[in-house]
Amino acid sequence: MQVLSSVVNYLLSLGAAIFVPIIIIIAGLIVRMKVKDAVSAGITLGVAFTGMTMLISFMTDTISPAAQAMLKSTGISLPIVDGGWTTMSTISWSWPYAFLMFPLLIIINVIMLVINKTNTFNADLWNVWGKIFTAVAVVAITKPHFGGAGSIACAFVVAAIQIIFELKAADMHQHRIEKLSGIPGVTCTHKMTFLAAVMYPIDCILKKVPALNKQFDAAALKDKVGIFAENHILGFILGIIFGVLARYSVADTLTLAIKAATALTLFPVITKYFMQALAPISEAVSDFMNKKFSGRTLVVGLDWPFLGGSNEIWLAVIYSVPITLLFSMFLPGNEILPFAGIINLALAVPAFLVTGGNLIRMIILCTVFAPVFLWVGTAFAPFMTDLARTTGAVSLKAGEMISNSSIDGPIQTYAFSHVFKVLDGNFIPLAILIVWVICFVLYYRSLSKEAQQETNN
Amino acid sequence: MKKIIVACGSGVATSQTVASKVNRLLKENKVDAQVEAVDLKSVDRYMDSSVAYIAITKIDKEYPIPVINGIAFLTGVGQDAELKKLIEACK
Repeated sequence: MQVLSSVVNYLLSLGAAIFVPIIIIIAGLIVRMKVKDAVSAGITLGVAFTGMTMLISFMTDTISPAAQAMLKSTGISLPIVDGGWTTMSTISWSWPYAFLMFPLLIIINVIMLVINKTNTFNADLWNVWGKIFTAVAVVAITKPHFGGAGSIACAFVVAAIQIIFELKAADMHQHRIEKLSGIPGVTCTHKMTFLAAVMYPIDCILKKVPALNKQFDAAALKDKVGIFAENHILGFILGIIFGVLARYSVADTLTLAIKAATALTLFPVITKYFMQALAPISEAVSDFMNKKFSGRTLVVGLDWPFLGGSNEIWLAVIYSVPITLLFSMFLPGNEILPFAGIINLALAVPAFLVTGGNLIRMIILCTVFAPVFLWVGTAFAPFMTDLARTTGAVSLKAGEMISNSSIDGPIQTYAFSHVFKVLDGNFIPLAILIVWVICFVLYYRSLSKEAQQETNN
Repeated sequence: MKKIIVACGSGVATSQTVASKVNRLLKENKVDAQVEAVDLKSVDRYMDSSVAYIAITKIDKEYPIPVINGIAFLTGVGQDAELKKLIEACK
């Protein structure tokens, strides 16, 4: 035992780019991959980690000085660098217990299916990192109270609850998703849909205003403005805005803009290697589940992009970019400078689902909830920065902090992790948790009723 | 070698999952083609250089190349038929 723990500690000390590939090679062999394929997947993952480390340093070196110059010229202090979801997933996977989330997800899903509490089979194994992300925050908050082992146990319990809610959210959205996307037999298990629960009561009020129920020709509008959502263009524009606010010279502003465009363009390129490395494992799990429940018609839970054909989502995303930037500068309590996370699908997709694709109401909801993402992004910066430092997933200079301005399901993620602050006498997260659960239940009931009516007709 | 594209919102997660799977299936069927995951917003730019487009969203537009249903590869339902269509498009 002593030897084993010192071997493990030694491997951990080598950093995420070494120990995570070792874990994936072992995991690959467990799901019966060929040795050469498992090794290839492992090394690809090491490449992905190292590539991300390089790119994140490049981004922080570009953005941090601009943020400091902005502080001097405008007095607005936004010291947290926004790494977007790609950075957060990298840091999350570097948590030493991250891979245990795979079996946990499968076990809970199988149990829920067997006892008929869900109809969804969650095939979106990539977003296991969303559970890891919540778990990491739970560990950081509970460690001073429960110690190492206790906090990890707590983290897995919270993750398990999140997995159950994800299945429930997938169940309740299925009929509406089928109607909106035109694709039968699938639903969305991504936790970004959680925000729809809190949007629901507000949408109920908005629905009462007849002027807000108009429909738009979203397709024509999207063809005109869609180009702004492309990474290189958006990165360049953000760079120009930051340069102007920082009172950079023309030459420096253009350089900043091109570097910002480079960072945003390359993030998806490197993140693809993560996917490539993890794909064989998630395929093996899917095959296993398909075989296990071959007699039953299951709804397959997927990541959000199959909804991406809807123009309303992209228009809401593009609209949210300037709104989020404006809020970031004037919102009290915000310390994050929106950058890599500014394409905020975690805001637009739940608004799309809750309104059933009504663009005007989506835009109102996006405006109301944009600040939430900035506050939650600020709240998560200490944990993510800490984990990045201890695992070496991201190299940050002293005083630099990193987070994400579009954390998926921000209210639930915040509430489920920060609820443990009651131990410090802070009851606000607990109150938020209760409100979220109540909203979720109400939303669940309303959607179930809608589904029932549709089958009756 | 022929090129096939598959697109999702970021060109990273879902599209790469489909790309990895289809690449493996094509290799098993000895088809000389490569699937590339791209960003949904830039699909039009790849039309000239690709022989097929694997879509995971509802398609309202007409495309000059065959469109394959990508959801089939994610759920396994109807996968064989879509794979056949894809292999046909690569000939």
